[in-house]
Amino acid sequence: MIRFLAFAVLLAWPVAGQAAGPVDPDWPCVQRRQPQLSVAQLWSGPPVDAAIEARAKAPEIRRLAEVIALRRTSMNQAERLVEEFAQGATREDLTALFLATFGQIQTARDRVMAGITRYAHQQEALDSQIEDKRHRFQEMTEAEPQDFDAMDDLEEEIDWATRIFVDRQQALTYVCETPVILEQRAFALGRTIAAKLPRQP
Amino acid sequence: MKLIAAMASSVALLAGPAFADKIFVSNEKGNSVTVLDSDSLEVIHTITGMQRPRGITASPDGKVIYVCASDDNLVRVYDAATYEELPSLPSGPDPELFVMHPDGKKLFIANEDDNIVTVVDVETRQVLAEVPVGVEPEGMGVSPDGRIVVNTSETTNMAHLIDTESYEIVANVLVDSRPRFAEYTPDGKILFVTAEIGGTVAAIDTATNEITKTITFEVPGVLPEALQPVGLRVTADGSKAYVALGPANRVAVLDVASLEVTDYLLVGQRVWQLGFSPDGQFLYTTNGNSNDISVIDVASDEVTVSVQVGEQPWGVVAVKSD
Repeated sequence: MIRFLAFAVLLAWPVAGQAAGPVDPDWPCVQRRQPQLSVAQLWSGPPVDAAIEARAKAPEIRRLAEVIALRRTSMNQAERLVEEFAQGATREDLTALFLATFGQIQTARDRVMAGITRYAHQQEALDSQIEDKRHRFQEMTEAEPQDFDAMDDLEEEIDWATRIFVDRQQALTYVCETPVILEQRAFALGRTIAAKLPRQP
Repeated sequence: MKLIAAMASSVALLAGPAFADKIFVSNEKGNSVTVLDSDSLEVIHTITGMQRPRGITASPDGKVIYVCASDDNLVRVYDAATYEELPSLPSGPDPELFVMHPDGKKLFIANEDDNIVTVVDVETRQVLAEVPVGVEPEGMGVSPDGRIVVNTSETTNMAHLIDTESYEIVANVLVDSRPRFAEYTPDGKILFVTAEIGGTVAAIDTATNEITKTITFEVPGVLPEALQPVGLRVTADGSKAYVALGPANRVAVLDVASLEVTDYLLVGQRVWQLGFSPDGQFLYTTNGNSNDISVIDVASDEVTVSVQVGEQPWGVVAVKSD
């Protein structure tokens, strides 16, 4: 009985302690969902126009953007690379570099956001599987005669499924931090690039 | 990094006077208060031993720092010179934000979970009154003459005007969704109330308690839902107001005479609360997601530098150092 109570607590979905409010089945995180980042949130330099968008596609800019956007590139290293690039670069070049970097991070973030939604749906599916198994177990305990071997097997299945569910649920905290970490990186890089903008004539 | 140091030293040159002020920043997630020297903008001390510090303020003489330790359910008190912890004040549950009465003797504390404003005598550490207000009280402001304290309630969407002698609500003003902060102009004629979800600032005429203008914000390329006004401060001469716009990462500059927005300054991520330097030359902003504070030069409205502090900075207060 105690075990069943424990299940009931563990299976509460979404987890207790999350902010109250309408539950979005696609979004299990405590953090407010922000589907997209926008350039203006992160960039105070020259406005982005068609010419800058075209310049952002230049191979040398795209390559640099790919490197500095990566989280395994340290911020110090990214700063050095931007500084090298900034030698002789125009305001437009640097704006294009920011735009290309922003694009890289936005793409990575989109992947993470879609992943979180998939994760939420998998947890939901696992939750209902466990629920079904529990009902079956309940029926088996009430059946006559009782099939103890089948009951043991099912109990083990329930234990495993519950363990996986709980482990995943704990990992969710970290998974949910990822979009925020990416946004922080985009902002920090925007600030680094903006600091290198040549003064306006 | 070199650049930041260079910028910091240029700020130091501008600041001039030999005695640096101190900046105290509460770090909501870092469970600490970061202390910075206002000239060098270097972290000179970190006060620890508190849970979820949010609202932060100082006594009028700048000698004592008060911190709403939300998860400790009390107000922690520190000596601004030695950083020594002084006896705590009762606050009621989950204190988020408070305001010091101009007499320096009473703190008015918003208790988000209990729908009350707790009034505490900072000398005797006694609770003087508990004023029932709307659901989820949040922002607190006080009129320059000290006669009215304003509390905003997040869910009821009201600014409650509380008489500081009788502790009774004398007026309620309905504002936009999730009001966060209240601040008077120095002449006491206008009361500003920010509305985070509504995305607006209400300018309330204090003679009639009517809204004279609802100020809206617009930054090209930023989604309207990211424009969430939170903290607000008015310059000592009453000419300008600064509004922190949360996840828009910007501070809006408001001309008080015309109630028009004149500029948007990019500071740091999730800009939350604001505080002036004691001489009013600089405005400090707490940026919760980039874990830093930005310094705005009030004369030129330029963001001069950003400095890393603890995790998720929430509130800021600057005091004179002896």
